[in-house]
Amino acid sequence: MIPRERCAYSAIVDRPPLKLPNSARIVVWTVVNLEFWSISRPMARQVLPAPTGEVLVPDVPNWSWHEYGMRVGVWRFFDLFARLGIRPTLSINARVCREYRRVARAARDAGWEFMGHAWEQMPIHKVEDQAEMIAKSLDTLARFAGTRPVGWLGPGLTETYDTPDLLAEAGVKYIGDWVYDDEPTEIKTAHGPLVTLPYSVELNDIPMMLVQHHESGYFTQRCIDSFERLYREGAERAKIMAIAIHPYISGQPHRIKYLEAVYEHISRYEGVLHWNGAEILDWYLSTRTER
Amino acid sequence: MITRGGVMLPSERLDFSAIGQRPKLALPNGARLAVWVIVNVEEWDPTQAMPRTVLTPPAGGAPMPDIPNWAWHEYGNRVGFWRILEVLDHFRIRAVLAINGSAIQRYGSIARSAFERGWEFIGHGFTQQSMQKVADERDDIRKTAAAIRGFTGKHPRGWLGPGLTETWETPDLLVEEGFEYVCDWVLDDEPVWLKTRTKPIVNLPYTQECNDVAMMLIQHHKASEYYDRAIDQFEQLYDDAAQSARIMALVVHPYIMGAPHRLKYLRNVLARIRDHRGVLFWTGEEILDWYLVR
Repeated sequence: MIPRERCAYSAIVDRPPLKLPNSARIVVWTVVNLEFWSISRPMARQVLPAPTGEVLVPDVPNWSWHEYGMRVGVWRFFDLFARLGIRPTLSINARVCREYRRVARAARDAGWEFMGHAWEQMPIHKVEDQAEMIAKSLDTLARFAGTRPVGWLGPGLTETYDTPDLLAEAGVKYIGDWVYDDEPTEIKTAHGPLVTLPYSVELNDIPMMLVQHHESGYFTQRCIDSFERLYREGAERAKIMAIAIHPYISGQPHRIKYLEAVYEHISRYEGVLHWNGAEILDWYLSTRTER
Repeated sequence: MITRGGVMLPSERLDFSAIGQRPKLALPNGARLAVWVIVNVEEWDPTQAMPRTVLTPPAGGAPMPDIPNWAWHEYGNRVGFWRILEVLDHFRIRAVLAINGSAIQRYGSIARSAFERGWEFIGHGFTQQSMQKVADERDDIRKTAAAIRGFTGKHPRGWLGPGLTETWETPDLLVEEGFEYVCDWVLDDEPVWLKTRTKPIVNLPYTQECNDVAMMLIQHHKASEYYDRAIDQFEQLYDDAAQSARIMALVVHPYIMGAPHRLKYLRNVLARIRDHRGVLFWTGEEILDWYLVR
């Protein structure tokens, strides 16, 4: 099914507003991405392309740049979110549970939500047997975390035409790949409806820092600009604002303070809920039932 | 007229002309500047490569389909457009809707909202792809004009190529299909005439400079640069216009300036420009009609 067959165009102004409990205006959905980059393939991202731009295997400098996030950067995240009392959603390549057990354990012990994020970091188009990969990923996460994930984010948000069908069949309830709205929506699949949650490619350190090459400090500015706009709109209809971060990017010493500044700014406002994906899903499903 | 197999080079469509050496242009009531706001509404075909991307796939390449970037653009039409509309309503500005012919039906509520406000509709290709890749250019132009006419009851007078793209023949075909102005030639601050193989066509000053595609997606500026640049552009043109009237274009796309973090910079640009005397917010056809009868 092409996207159009899953969901017709809908203008946000034509829908009845969604309301949050206790007159809250906005949900901030923090998503931490943990990945496994196989040294036997080209790296998922590069901070430094090889001289003349050649694709090298092995690509040790870029592998180790990402590895820094797991060794050092992610601990800055754990520290920050523990101080804030926020339990983010963890978008996790299932293989991380094996290769970086220490990190996965810390997230589990802190009560973070585990969301499926494929087996390892590569475009889903290149996975030979997607159904098998999805099952293996969800099983691994379920065994590790003790509960089966209800959410899924494609690696780099990638999907093939049948990915939503395969995910729904595997029991996934929500996906983050469709960054096409400020509200959750429901799309059709061959195995019943699937909810999309508004993940973000705008407030996301990959497009901002690695693609658009913004200065570190701009992360704060863009998040605050988004927050203030959505907060205003939240008086009329519930808004969800996702912040997507990666330990090898936002966990860098020169960037972490700009992430901290975002939460510090947000903390001055009333009516802000810090929810994970499963909580947003439960609220969305229940408000729809009431309606 | 020199032609090569029916092909006219740009230099054959118009002569070089230095802006300071032309007769003075005067806007009504001593106004200095006409500002036109162009909102581009497109339909991206999810079975094709995406015209622009915000996110590259892990390890690069261009795997198809590209759902995340399709969804990122779709956000503009579901959510972003309505923010831009609120701002333009607030300032009571009638914008120009450059719209893909196919988008009129697909995004019916957008077309209706623009129509109700008296915005001008201009052709922007039938779908969002280079005019050099369109199988039959005349047919594409015709279909686009028909889609607009079918909806507004009026043949569109203006045309903007998707990504400003043209073939050698585009201006000729546009005239033959009933268009009166084109905006692909960003070569002046005043309207100019372009020769075609039949009668000439006017080119209105569109912009790649105050344009969110170039600024945000290619040059990767911060959102606030849209404000800074537009005001710098405006102040210079406003000064220049002491000699002769000037036209300034502001270009936005719902999926770019309609993002929550960018919108206020557009609002602030319009608020600041509105504070100046002698500025007209006009549509393309208002600029055209003024230029034709002056």
